[in-house]
Amino acid sequence: MQMTGGHITVSIVTLATLAPFAAFLVILLFMRSRPRLSAGLSIGAVILSFACSVLLLILHRAGGEAVQYTSRWMVAGNIEVPFGYLIDPLSLLMLVIVATICLLVQVYSLGYMAGDPGFSRYYAFMSLFSWAMMSLTVSPTLFQLYIFWELVGLSSYLLIGFWYEKFSATQAGKKAFVMTRTGDTAFFIGLLLIFLHLGNIGILQLNGPEAKALSPNVITLAALLIFGGIVGKSAQFPLMTWLPDAMEGPTPVSALLHSATMVAAGVYLFARLFPFFSLSPTAMSIFLGIGTISMLLAATMAMVSRDIKKVWAYSTISQLGFMIMALGAGGYFAGVFHLTTHAGFKALLFLCSGVFIHHFHTNDIFELGGLGGRALKVPMICLAIAAAALSGIPPLSGYFSKEAIIGTLAALENPVWLAAGLAGIFLTAYYAFRVIFLLLLPKPGETAQAPPSPSPTHVSLDGGGNSEYRFMAWPLIVLAGVTVVLGLLENSLRDFLVGPHALGAVAGDEMHARAGYLALGLAASGVVLAWFEFGRHGSSRIGFVERIPVLARLFAERWYLDHFYRLLVGEVIDKGISYLCYKNDNKVIDGSIDALCAGTVEGGRITALLNSCMIQYRLLTIFAVLVFLALYFSF
Amino acid sequence: MHYATFPFLSAILLSCVAGMSAIVFIPEDRKTLIKWVSAVFSGITLVLSLCLFFAYDRNTGGLQFVERLSWIPQLGIQYLNGVDGFSLPNLLLTGIVFFTGVLTMWELEHRVKEFYALYFLLVTGVFGLFMSLDLFFIFVWYDVSLFPMYLLIAIWGTTRKEYGAMKLTLYLLAGSALILPAIVLLYVKSGLGTFDLTALLKPGLFSADQQKLAFILLYLGFGVLAGLWPFHTWSPVGHVAAPTGVSMVHAGVLMKIGAFGVLRLAIMLCPLGWRYWAELMAVLATIGIVYGALTALRQTDLKYVIGYSSVSHMGVVGLGLSTMTAEGLDGAVFQMFAHGIMTALLFSSVGYIYDRTHTKLIPELGGLSRIMPVASGYFIVAALAGMGVPGLANFWGELVVFISAFKVYPVRGIAAVLALVITALFMLRVIQRTFYGPENHHRRGKGARQKILDPRFEPEISSLSQRHQDVERKTRQLQRKVYGKKLVGADQKHHREGAGE
Amino acid sequence: MIVPFSHVLVLSGILFVLGVFCAVARRNLIMIILGIEIMLNAAAIAFIGASLRRQDLDGQTFVLFILAVAATEVSVGLAIIVYAFRRTGSFDPGNFNLMK
Repeated sequence: MQMTGGHITVSIVTLATLAPFAAFLVILLFMRSRPRLSAGLSIGAVILSFACSVLLLILHRAGGEAVQYTSRWMVAGNIEVPFGYLIDPLSLLMLVIVATICLLVQVYSLGYMAGDPGFSRYYAFMSLFSWAMMSLTVSPTLFQLYIFWELVGLSSYLLIGFWYEKFSATQAGKKAFVMTRTGDTAFFIGLLLIFLHLGNIGILQLNGPEAKALSPNVITLAALLIFGGIVGKSAQFPLMTWLPDAMEGPTPVSALLHSATMVAAGVYLFARLFPFFSLSPTAMSIFLGIGTISMLLAATMAMVSRDIKKVWAYSTISQLGFMIMALGAGGYFAGVFHLTTHAGFKALLFLCSGVFIHHFHTNDIFELGGLGGRALKVPMICLAIAAAALSGIPPLSGYFSKEAIIGTLAALENPVWLAAGLAGIFLTAYYAFRVIFLLLLPKPGETAQAPPSPSPTHVSLDGGGNSEYRFMAWPLIVLAGVTVVLGLLENSLRDFLVGPHALGAVAGDEMHARAGYLALGLAASGVVLAWFEFGRHGSSRIGFVERIPVLARLFAERWYLDHFYRLLVGEVIDKGISYLCYKNDNKVIDGSIDALCAGTVEGGRITALLNSCMIQYRLLTIFAVLVFLALYFSF
Repeated sequence: MHYATFPFLSAILLSCVAGMSAIVFIPEDRKTLIKWVSAVFSGITLVLSLCLFFAYDRNTGGLQFVERLSWIPQLGIQYLNGVDGFSLPNLLLTGIVFFTGVLTMWELEHRVKEFYALYFLLVTGVFGLFMSLDLFFIFVWYDVSLFPMYLLIAIWGTTRKEYGAMKLTLYLLAGSALILPAIVLLYVKSGLGTFDLTALLKPGLFSADQQKLAFILLYLGFGVLAGLWPFHTWSPVGHVAAPTGVSMVHAGVLMKIGAFGVLRLAIMLCPLGWRYWAELMAVLATIGIVYGALTALRQTDLKYVIGYSSVSHMGVVGLGLSTMTAEGLDGAVFQMFAHGIMTALLFSSVGYIYDRTHTKLIPELGGLSRIMPVASGYFIVAALAGMGVPGLANFWGELVVFISAFKVYPVRGIAAVLALVITALFMLRVIQRTFYGPENHHRRGKGARQKILDPRFEPEISSLSQRHQDVERKTRQLQRKVYGKKLVGADQKHHREGAGE
Repeated sequence: MIVPFSHVLVLSGILFVLGVFCAVARRNLIMIILGIEIMLNAAAIAFIGASLRRQDLDGQTFVLFILAVAATEVSVGLAIIVYAFRRTGSFDPGNFNLMK
């Protein structure tokens, strides 16, 4: 057991992470039938975690030395799986983000999930997730991180398939788990590789000088394998199709897991191992490439989607790709800063959409607009703010973080990355405001349906005194405030995270400024194009992409990735290899055993002939044996 | 070697034998009494094995609680028991599975007396093999645990029981036919004239060739019992055919005997043989892991799925044993324990489901989570454990095995890790088809295959909570029709409270 | 000796083989006994030839024993056959296969 740094810190971290776990166990075991108590317990635990994380942030606001505490959890031979914490600026920042969003989403769920028969189960799984995610952020070794990585995946599975009577929901949960599992096996193999060469090493040591002792090939291979896990968890190319399907889960789940925290765990891991990954320029360029591809692909998919949650899901993939681009290009602070701001405005986007979905019982953007979505004032305003942040409109937080990333990309030698980044900004603004304008300014006569049947959780249109609505509204307001304010905290955040001198590549001032203006201009033009096509009076409501049916179909079918996977799993694995194994079992192995048995039986039957009751055969046998013996003994 | 002050091991054996004798003397129409007596005696063995587990001194290690009684001195056969770090968790496992197995079969009505008597005999053999240190007795216990399996499956079994029982018995007898010459070889060639394992552990007794021969015979012989590929096909068939409690013992404990036999006899007595054959062991184990998972993907009977996943997990044990490292052996033994518990839970849940729905075929099941939430929860937890979700038991065993395997056999280690994905795929698929989704209204039971509505063509739901209530209402109606008021009343109360305000 | 001993042995051997064929290749119980008789007589011829060659009477004495035994055996065998015929109504050895 080693520890550097204060005991108080360690106890606070323990409290912060274990409170939700205790809540999970208690709810699951004892309180399945008492929803209010479960929700209260869960939210209480998360408040505690939130308070602890803020306290930790205040205690360690000067940055500086990392606190690490490890104790031996399991020992087998010379394999040690330690359990402990690592508190440094990055993990603290992530911890605060996670705790905040967990708290806000759980409060929001009080309104959204009210009346659901699985209410207690929902909060139990939410607590499970909070525990796993927070423990992931403070893990001192890759082993522990891997353990909680998988546990986060498990809670994702449980929450996506929450409404389990619905086949598509369980299907989506299974798909999410299996896809992330595939990435996780790559992660695990990378972990094994590092263990093979360096033994039971912690993250700090991995980032330190010891890792330089490895050969470059090993470093690159390990980095690529670990990045496999990141690809799975953060839904990058090619393991990206599970995230849109994961929208089957309740909207708060989408807000928490699949936008702000769980999928961000991949980017977090990247940031965590940034010094280690930087040792291999090959790997970093590959990461840059994959991030770019994901960003552009997902942005194209978002442009043609009709489902509001799926738009934001594609957007998440795209923004995560953007973060990975930044990190891959060497911009440590830029990537982490965008992670922080993205958590804020993406969660806000989802939560606002959730209010619409909850009220109008439809996910379709056109229908939402047609049914009078704009009338819900608070969600609409917050949605607009969030979309503006997403597009990078100043002075919202998204503008600052995107500018940082563009600055990093501009510092690279090859201008293609910068071009890709700028294209991404344009597309992002376009699709974000497509949604806004479709919601805000519906065309009359568009999918005019009968007013929605009154749901048992009826919400008054202007958000009156209904308590559910209040539960849903306050987190929106808080997040909107954060989105507005966060950008101004850039410099203090930079000091906290990386010290007064900026780490990583940032372009020279002039180049930086030019790229920044270009980005702003492109964002603005994206908004204008969206206005032109969807917003203004008499617009055709058909995007420029949809005018090219081939392209539109390509984007809508997710670039046929799903078809590929269905083919791979269904035909190759299921009907191909699995079938072969099964037939092998039946025909070959069992067949040979059956042949052996049949042969034995037949042999017995033949030998029985000798003893059959034909007297004369017996005579013949005796005679033959006697002749044989006579010959044998005479020669 | 520490001799026992209180003969725990013999006490365990004695309580099994005493239980069996007690059952034999109870008249067969007093079924409840028989069950209670069984529960009491199996409870005693559980308590004893727990005490043993905690009384074992971990700091000293080695063989403890040794009991020695000379039996046939002319042949060197002794009644010799002892426990060390390898057999300790297995003894505890047997105690747990035995007790829970007795409880699981509580609703048995047909020939209860014979069943429990044979069950006790079976577990006596299992316990005996784990604790015995005399080669002769190890062989005897192996066969003692073998023949009750035949009767138990052939009389109380379900799907294709005669075929399953015959196949299982013949395969395992073939395995013992390989073990016996190896034991005799070791006995004769040692020159010591004794079957005592502790004496035969002396280094340098056997030449390298003898060790190689003995090792491969023992490995194949015990490997058949442990579900070694390609001699594994008896196992899924036997699992399916056996009644629930017997399946629990079969998958939970009997297959561990095989792995344990490899460990106790082959590895400890013939280390040179171990080194020679380790590569082959690793190859067969890895094939078993991947193959078992792939074959489980195609199965439509719940018990077949669990049976093939057992083959896969026992492959992990085999892989750990083949690494020739201390960590590998540790991981293998832990995996034995973890898998035993997990699979006993799975079979227990399946038995529960079968009792209530009268079918084990996945196409006929669906939406069980609504009707039996608690049993579904248990199955799901066990299935998650089987997938290697961290925090649950199997993860730690597999982690250690994969780490040590990767060190020694990188390629095979990677293949084994990749099988994790396939395992997740089929386990989740089983959970989804059996417990989640809409309820399967065409369920008839008794193995009749009906046309199933393909739920994938349900229209995309946009109004979630409304539809949710519809499903709830319909489910309640069906429940009332099929299961009667009592169950529905209790469930309704649960849902009413759960539905909140 | 008038006839060389080898010729006697050949005669005996041929007779013996003929006896075997008769016993084995005929679907008639009586033929089996006939075949056995032929075999016995073949053996007797071999004994006589040997006694002539050795110029003493031991072989011929043994032939008398053989003849006596043959007679006994035939009578017992025929008794069994008569009984068997009464039970099953046929002389075909293929019908007597209850122990298969």
